[in-house]
Amino acid sequence: MYPLLRMVSVSLRPGDRLISTDLSLIPVGASLDSYRGVLGGTGFLGWLWNSLVITCVTSLVGVSLASTAAYAFSRFRFPGSKLGLMLLLGTQMIPASMLLLPLFLMIVRLGLINTYLGMIIAYSVSSLPFSIWLLKGYYDTIPRSLEEAALVDGTTRFGAFYRIVLPLSTPALAIAFLFNFTTAWNEYLVARVVLSDSRMYTWTLGLFELQGQYLTQWGMFAAGSFLVTIPVLCVFLYTSKWLISGLTLGGVKG
Amino acid sequence: MSAVAQVAGFLALIALAVAALELVLAGVFKLTRTKHSLAYLMLAPAFAGLAILILYPLGYEVYLAFHDLKLTTVMAWRGTGVLPFVGFKNFLKVFTSSPLSGVSFWRLLLRTIGWTALNVFFHVAGGMALALLLNRVKWGRGIYRTLLVIPWAMPQVVAVLALRGELHSQYGAVNIVLGKLGIAPVQWLTAHTFLACSLINIWLGIPFMMVIILGGLQSISQHYYDAAAIDGASAFQQFRMITLPLIRPVLAPAATLGAVWTFNNINVIYLVTGQAGGTEDADILVSALYKAAFTYYRYSYSAALALVIFALLFAFSWTWMKATKGADPVH
Repeated sequence: MYPLLRMVSVSLRPGDRLISTDLSLIPVGASLDSYRGVLGGTGFLGWLWNSLVITCVTSLVGVSLASTAAYAFSRFRFPGSKLGLMLLLGTQMIPASMLLLPLFLMIVRLGLINTYLGMIIAYSVSSLPFSIWLLKGYYDTIPRSLEEAALVDGTTRFGAFYRIVLPLSTPALAIAFLFNFTTAWNEYLVARVVLSDSRMYTWTLGLFELQGQYLTQWGMFAAGSFLVTIPVLCVFLYTSKWLISGLTLGGVKG
Repeated sequence: MSAVAQVAGFLALIALAVAALELVLAGVFKLTRTKHSLAYLMLAPAFAGLAILILYPLGYEVYLAFHDLKLTTVMAWRGTGVLPFVGFKNFLKVFTSSPLSGVSFWRLLLRTIGWTALNVFFHVAGGMALALLLNRVKWGRGIYRTLLVIPWAMPQVVAVLALRGELHSQYGAVNIVLGKLGIAPVQWLTAHTFLACSLINIWLGIPFMMVIILGGLQSISQHYYDAAAIDGASAFQQFRMITLPLIRPVLAPAATLGAVWTFNNINVIYLVTGQAGGTEDADILVSALYKAAFTYYRYSYSAALALVIFALLFAFSWTWMKATKGADPVH
């Protein structure tokens, strides 16, 4: 907790006192200069925009693919369903670092270095297994009789899924979306490899630059960190109740 | 803007590909009268994605490990797509030469084991202590819980970089506090990198464990404790005989998962030591793998290293799951 507050404090420091051994939380002569600097003087807004585009697209793709697959696992007993679920778990065992190299070479081969598309491809399935498990857990709690009633009334099986189960699952879909979103939003290592042009940077790379190269940008780093943390934090706190119950629904049996 | 148009075009392409896949599959199922065709149709897009982006790269990794792709052959490869076959040479190199510039594979392996054990131990111990405390507290629990969950919600990159700043030898809060206590400044980031990384990672991992353990604690009925108190059990005995066995089903999978995460954690180590001139005193296997591939451009070598690490991880998880039988590894 303290580091967060201190970050806020550093971000408020006026330029001439950035480097100090002062520990107090509200600095002497607090100013918003660092915020002005980070928003105006660096590519920060561009980085945020890059992150936003990449994350939104990957989350949408991820959740929509997961929503139908999870339904199949939840409602049908078909040959291979157990195996499929185990395979999904198995993918979680594979270290991300291991897939990174072949993925990177694939993206190089396709000429997608430094593009949104390359990033989206690299991210799109990373949260898929987790999302499928999560959504399957939620679908399992929706009574089948609802769909059966709809089938009697003459909808198709897919119609029952689309018109009844999907709308009822809004909270779980929201959690899955959120999960996909935060994973991609906070990702650093893949971005480091795929993006080398500083205009295409996501904010994670940008912040690392700000803090890495020059100590003088410490204030801007803090201001930038604060700006990216606050939205995530708000969403997280707002949904934390569902998030925790959603996580437990997905698996950990008490 | 052209980038956005590119993305939109790509999405349209995906939609088209999915539609085509579904049509073809539907046709095949109709001809062969497959049962459960709808189930397969609904699964197809997700599994096609997984196959392209997980199974294919996995296969390619194996291919790379037995061939020779490095900085000197990469241009030729981009032109022709063929690589010379080298057999087990890359695997041999994994065990005999250093993935980075100095440390050997065996040192890294030992350090990884130490890193995982140390971190998971403190995650569980810290999470347990905080959860027990929170479970006691009767008022304002929501506030404390929120405060303690914040580190978990904070983007890892921000948290690690901020903490790295705090460990700066001259301006970081840690050394300033130590200085006020009369202790000489510690060179966290240059001389004690491993310790610095561990501190950061422990701080990051505790909230997750706390939330999981708290969930477990709250499902334990108060009656057990009442009965034990009547029988004269001390607080420690109650903890050992009631709390621990009852949260085991929650704790075991969480600890397993935590161990795998810690084992695979590149983020913390890379963010602390990743810049030019960073030391390799804190590197564990996976971060060495990352650096070997993307700092030293030794592609085939790191593919072989990746396979070795994967085998290790697999063996570890397998024995662990066998050892903690009954613990559900699902997260």
